[in-house]
Amino acid sequence: MASVIEARELSKSFGEVTALDRVSLSVGEGALFGLLGPNGSGKTTMIKVLTGQIRPTSGSATVLGIDAEKEGIKVRERVGIIPEQESPPSFLTAMEYLEFVGAVRKIPDIGERAEKWFDLLEFRDKKDVLCKDLSRGTRQKLMFAQAFIHEPVLALIDEPLINLDPIMQDVVKEFLAGYVRKGNTVFLSTHILEVAEDICSGIAILHKGKLLHSGPLADLTARGEHLPEFFLSLVRKGRHA
Amino acid sequence: MPDLFINLVKEEWRTHSTMFGSISFALFPVMIFGIVFMGSFLVPFLSATIPAGDLALLAHAMFLLLGFMVGGFGLLGNEMMNRRFGQASLLVYSARSLPLSERFIFANFVLKDIVYYFFLWVFPFGAGYIAASPFSGVPLSRGLLLLLTLSLAFLLGLCVVFILSSLYVRSRAACLLVVVCSAVAATVFAAWSGTNPALLFPPYLLYTAFSWVALLGTVIAIAAMFAVSVLLFTPESQGSTKTYRNVLGRLARSLSFLPRSPLVAKDLLDLSRSGIGIGQALFSFLIPLVAIWFFLSLLQNSLPPHGLIAIFSLTAGIIASTIYTWVTEFDSFGPYACLPVAVSTLISSKMTTFLLLQVLPAVFIGAVACITGSPGLAGPAIVLCLSISIYAACVMAYLCGLSPSVLVYDVRVLFTYLLLDGVALVLLAALSFANSLYGLLSVFLLVPAYLFARAAGARWDARDPGGL
Ligand SMILES: Nc1ncnc2c1ncn2[C@@H]1O[C@H](COP(=O)(O)OP(=O)(O)OP(=O)(O)O)[C@@H](O)[C@H]1O
Ligand SMILES: [Mg+2]
Repeated sequence: MASVIEARELSKSFGEVTALDRVSLSVGEGALFGLLGPNGSGKTTMIKVLTGQIRPTSGSATVLGIDAEKEGIKVRERVGIIPEQESPPSFLTAMEYLEFVGAVRKIPDIGERAEKWFDLLEFRDKKDVLCKDLSRGTRQKLMFAQAFIHEPVLALIDEPLINLDPIMQDVVKEFLAGYVRKGNTVFLSTHILEVAEDICSGIAILHKGKLLHSGPLADLTARGEHLPEFFLSLVRKGRHA
Repeated sequence: MPDLFINLVKEEWRTHSTMFGSISFALFPVMIFGIVFMGSFLVPFLSATIPAGDLALLAHAMFLLLGFMVGGFGLLGNEMMNRRFGQASLLVYSARSLPLSERFIFANFVLKDIVYYFFLWVFPFGAGYIAASPFSGVPLSRGLLLLLTLSLAFLLGLCVVFILSSLYVRSRAACLLVVVCSAVAATVFAAWSGTNPALLFPPYLLYTAFSWVALLGTVIAIAAMFAVSVLLFTPESQGSTKTYRNVLGRLARSLSFLPRSPLVAKDLLDLSRSGIGIGQALFSFLIPLVAIWFFLSLLQNSLPPHGLIAIFSLTAGIIASTIYTWVTEFDSFGPYACLPVAVSTLISSKMTTFLLLQVLPAVFIGAVACITGSPGLAGPAIVLCLSISIYAACVMAYLCGLSPSVLVYDVRVLFTYLLLDGVALVLLAALSFANSLYGLLSVFLLVPAYLFARAAGARWDARDPGGL
């Protein structure tokens, strides 16, 4: 299986904080890969470095065969991203925001595609409301639509479920599972271990910027282990180390 | 009350100091002090060409302007801060979850601005002048008086903007009416009495002829304006979820002759829907410039015949260059970071929006030239104003990237900015004093402007974008 994401000894420091500490990671095509870790362990930083939004302090990464540091724009042309907390611009309507994304990404049939997303995530009634007046969950739906609207072969999504109600979480989980079945790859960071256990094919666990574990989820299940317990014991060990 | 106040001040300090280090930021007032201290030694020489009274008047005008600018940013800045940092992260907003009235929070917010900017700008300025007094032969009492009257000028500017912007939130039409009527009244008064109303500016009057009664009157006026603006203050109306017709696509298509038209269309929609566009045009452009006109026109006798409109065009150009801060400050790079948009792309799209908005200074300067009876000078004046504005904005983009208004508080950056702009200003002033048509030569400034803009892209692409 060709690898879609390849990180080699990736480090990123912010002043004295080492957010990523020599992380090497490989994600194969068609994977639904879960990046797990406690608060502040470096998940968001990892996604930003992989998509060329910020530069690594050392090490390198290729995404879809493109150097993420040198050609970040090319990476972002090809992939879809849901940022951790960025909201859509306040004074555009939901529809206008998707049109804006379409114009920047040069998608010709953006209008039709947007309609499909309003239906799938059930927020058609909000399409003409300014983004600043949307509820958090609706904004999250909009960011979700924005990330997938150009049908990227790879999506890097940071906590996509966090503000969604249980029904929507199900819709999104099903969508993601179907999306990778078509041969696409999804790189997902999440705190919800049950979700990760449910849908992920591979996982990595970060702690204080260090990679504690990475591999197929099937390895765990074969050993009869459950992800939540495995995660907790690993992180607790890391804390004492 | 003291708690909220102190925390607001702390927060303002942190916002500035974390962006470029406490040291560089703390040096800011020191630099103001230093510049004024050194400058004070020039006063005896300058007074050979410009009467000392005019210099004092200019200083008062400058602090009035500073008050306008700080006030304008303080209130409209709310909206911008809101976008940059999100509602929850600022105390002004989180205080809403405490059992305090909005009006009380607002009053604290205003007081915080006053104290903060007083120590940042006004105090070091006065202190520099006072410290130089033993050497420059200015009596200490004059120095102290100047510190007092400059502070009053600053406060007056601030309060005028607060009162007008509180009114603006209630009724834009009423606010506009008050501004236009005041400008017309001042013009009519000047024509009828032959006295420039700027000479009646209370802090300046106090400086030239001090009296306790006048001081008391000025202080009462300031306090009254402050009280009225707090009373007029209305909390933002919330919860009205309006729907809007989809215009972005059409707007982008009709601008498609411009590079990066979707980004430009988004900016224009943003400026108009949020009210920042009109608000800024009023508070950061028209009001300050109309006031400045009256002050500058007092210099007429020390200037060559076409000098006044030239100086005014240059001043307007510098103020027009801050339009670059309007278009950059209201959004952060965050939402663009998940799209294939480079920092350089965003800078150049902001520059395009900036260039479109230069219609405002162009029309304004043209109108001033015509109203003041020299329509023949409108051409050179507009060219002069726009060239310096575009040049200064490109320098700003080079030095500060996408966050110009905050980075101006970095001493090194500010120094470079003042130097680069100062050279251009002195050159252009000298040229257009010699012959009004020489002002047209300022178009050559567009060459370095272009180079700065191009270098800005490369420079800021090479760094991690701020706010990520
Ligand atoms: N722009 C920044 N400047 C300074 N420090 C930062 C910056 N971004 C992240 N950090 C630091 O880097 C570390 C990793 O942060 P990151 O956001 O990647 O964690 P995370 O795993 O996404 O956490 P969470 O689960 O809370 O979202 C933290 O210690 C954080 O404080
Ligand atoms: Mg995170």
